[in-house]
Amino acid sequence: MVTALLTRPARALIRDSSGAADPSELNSWSMSKSADTSATAALDQPLVEMDSTALSTRTPAMGGAVDDLVVDPADAPAVTEAEATIEEALDEDEVGDDAVEDTAAPSPSDLRALFEEQALPFIDQLYAAGLRMARNPADAQDLVQETYVKAFAAFAGYQQGTNLKAWLYRILTNTFINNYRKKQRNPYQGTIDDLEDWQLGSAQSATSPVGRSAEAEAIDHLPDSAVKDALQAVPEDFRMAVYFADVEGFSYQEIADIMKTPVGTVMSRLHRGRRMLRELLGEYAKERGIAVGETSRRRSSKSTAPTEAAADTPGMTT
Amino acid sequence: MTDCGCDKAKQELEEYLHNELKGADAADIRDHMEHCASCSGEHQVGVMLTEAVKRACKDQAPSELRDQVLLKLRTLQSH
Repeated sequence: MVTALLTRPARALIRDSSGAADPSELNSWSMSKSADTSATAALDQPLVEMDSTALSTRTPAMGGAVDDLVVDPADAPAVTEAEATIEEALDEDEVGDDAVEDTAAPSPSDLRALFEEQALPFIDQLYAAGLRMARNPADAQDLVQETYVKAFAAFAGYQQGTNLKAWLYRILTNTFINNYRKKQRNPYQGTIDDLEDWQLGSAQSATSPVGRSAEAEAIDHLPDSAVKDALQAVPEDFRMAVYFADVEGFSYQEIADIMKTPVGTVMSRLHRGRRMLRELLGEYAKERGIAVGETSRRRSSKSTAPTEAAADTPGMTT
Repeated sequence: MTDCGCDKAKQELEEYLHNELKGADAADIRDHMEHCASCSGEHQVGVMLTEAVKRACKDQAPSELRDQVLLKLRTLQSH
């Protein structure tokens, strides 16, 4: 079901104009192992607007044809439903999931123990992702801590058996957008998906098979710092799509759910992000004389000074 | 065995790389790459790119962050 959707970029079918209170966004998570794919795929909202559309994934019907999921804005859930949402989520647990041990009302300490056991193992991954978002360790730590606080507050509404990692990533992404992104100046955020390829300064990479195998080898030999720097130079939405797919191995649909964007947009972000990355790394390799079409004789002397790469890496000036 | 041609392969290589193609679609790409140095080279670059990103992003959370989070959760709960 998922893959059927993926090859055909889902068109935007739902325009949700409802406002939403901040806490309720966390309870709107309904991504599950089942066919809960179409609704979020159909949301055509740029990341930057997430805080105002937080409830939009709570579209009623799941699993039907995408075409059926046209929701009138007037039917959209209202802010005041946040509490009902939590109760609903708990009800669903009681009814539907026999994997849950404490179906009734788990004691606060049980819930915390469960949360620690299930969510804390993801702290390294969330921190690594936070670093890619926040760009410095202090902000990344704050971001992760805040993510855990929010996730814990919403944990009663989390449906056991669904994708906890993706749920946490979604909260991380929301938290970053709401609390941190505003601090970073990036005039193109929110509109970058609309830019044409030529505006992003992309060009075709090496075309000959020889060029490609040299390119693959060069990429393989690049120091991690160069790859990180290049990643940071890629616009955020593209960068995170690449991160989610290549580092975390999330499916396109999962990334769409995390970033609240249609699968088609995920594919476009991934494609553009990876292409930019490839170009940046190619330029870096060329500057450093790393093995693009020739032997890597200069590499050993250069690879000892990876930290200067930050200043040197030609940035995408977006 | 069918060869889907470079156009289709190039277009779908990234989905193939991310395991988004299933069954016949993935087989088409594999078949094509067996005979096409250009597309298999392109795929190889893609694989290396993914590997490089994966390798570069293996950060560990500082232990004090873990402690802070645990502390915070326990503080929150006692309220």
